[in-house]
Amino acid sequence: MKRSTVIRLPLCLTMAGILCGVLGGCVATVPGPGQRPDSPVAQAQATHEYPSPPVTERAAGGAASASAAVAAFATAYINWDAQTVAGDMRELAAQSIGQARSAMQLAAAQTADDYELQRGGIANSGVVEAVAPLVGRRDQFVVVTRELTTASATTAYQGLQPAWHLAIATVSQAAPGEWVVSGWQPQS
Amino acid sequence: MFVVGGLFAATMTVGVGAALLALLISVLTQGSECGSPAASGEVVLGPPGSGRLVGATEYGGPGDPSSGTIGASGANLLVHPDSYAELGGYTFQTAIAMGGLPYMTPLRITWGGHSAIAYKRDFGLGGGPVDGLPRVIDLWWELAGNLGIPYEDGLWSGPVRIARPPATGAASLLGQTATGAASLLPSPIATEDPAVCGPGSPTGVPLTSGERAQMLPSGLAAAPAGAPLAVKEMIAAGNQIVGKPYLYGGGHGLPLSDIAPAYDCSSSVEHLLYGGGLLPVTFDAASGTLESFGQPGPGRWVTVYANPDHVFMYVAGLRWDTHNAAGPGDGSTGIGWHPLIRSSAGFIARHPARL
Repeated sequence: MKRSTVIRLPLCLTMAGILCGVLGGCVATVPGPGQRPDSPVAQAQATHEYPSPPVTERAAGGAASASAAVAAFATAYINWDAQTVAGDMRELAAQSIGQARSAMQLAAAQTADDYELQRGGIANSGVVEAVAPLVGRRDQFVVVTRELTTASATTAYQGLQPAWHLAIATVSQAAPGEWVVSGWQPQS
Repeated sequence: MFVVGGLFAATMTVGVGAALLALLISVLTQGSECGSPAASGEVVLGPPGSGRLVGATEYGGPGDPSSGTIGASGANLLVHPDSYAELGGYTFQTAIAMGGLPYMTPLRITWGGHSAIAYKRDFGLGGGPVDGLPRVIDLWWELAGNLGIPYEDGLWSGPVRIARPPATGAASLLGQTATGAASLLPSPIATEDPAVCGPGSPTGVPLTSGERAQMLPSGLAAAPAGAPLAVKEMIAAGNQIVGKPYLYGGGHGLPLSDIAPAYDCSSSVEHLLYGGGLLPVTFDAASGTLESFGQPGPGRWVTVYANPDHVFMYVAGLRWDTHNAAGPGDGSTGIGWHPLIRSSAGFIARHPARL
């Protein structure tokens, strides 16, 4: 929400909010008096987010095909150890855009000082078994990996076999012949 | 095979593909209701690491030929000696002595100081208690042998300790599955561990194992048991206002200690930051002001993403936002916790010091 808008916020809108709360369950989708239905405030009230112009991101590098981009991303995502994981995720963030970049930035931040990962000497390794397009979606792929988690300082993972995992990847074409991963949503 | 106390068997052929499909479906659909009661007679497994003693039997081997060598999952148990059967009733639907675990669910089984991982590839008939413990698991004879259990022609019974191993795979370790780090845990997740469910913290917030907050079916969030107190208090503050109506400008002009009838993006984020002791009670600003909150970049536990138009945040890996901006599967359309990560393009990432 814009700061200036807060200051100018009509009292009636605030009162409407209070009334909504009192009544309970009210979802205000009707703009306040004087607001055009297509105004930013009216859109914010309908979508719960003030409309922003799209932001262009630039990824470092790219792959010649969509499936190659997904396979490279997935391979890097599943092969790391406690010492390298934060750096690996930062690198993946730089090579991706959109939701995938955000997810990798968060993973990098959250693992940089992850006591459990470090203490256990945990590592993950695996291979990408399949990258297949989702039916009817040219920009989304199902990614099947087979991964093994190990630990050098705990027996918690001892004896576990490699397991299948599934993720949904979204790709975008940054330039002709240059594909990058823009969405990464692991399912298991 | 359908294991019937080692006395007779009815061979069942279930395709491996169907078993894998069932496993996938179970992984994708299972919920995790903290504290959900177990069905009568079931043993409820706790989170990884919290084992419990149960009654076990063994089956198969040269002295018990009637049990056969093909598990009900279709797997050849001679090829997969690390196998167990879940007991109870006569069918896959009723053999739920451990809650009805999907095929290939791994368990760590310990007996007499020996420990091994085994996978569910079979089910079988239940029976009376073993040494006063509920009879829930049948160990394939080779598995039992690896644990040092003496072979008694399929007639051995005794107590063993069973525990879930930790979730594996990059996504689980990084807390990035849609339902959090515990998503690989077969349901139900109800536990005997008092630290996992119930108040357990000064804030009264539900707690969960692992390093990531977990969204509960109610829409509230459970905080990681090992998280800093400020993180738990932020999650508790969020739980206070989950589901409040969105109102552009709502929640402003009030002390942050108040519960407002409605919130917008910035007032709701500020309510959580105040709850964690990170903002003064009189703080009242729009989203753009939070572009300079705390320190730059994402944080270990808390990351605020702000621009002049919107603000949202992650607390212990769980997103706090005013709508399901990440699309289908991202939870409610309203103010509250959302399970997916959304794009942060165009936002400034900030985090509180030391968090």
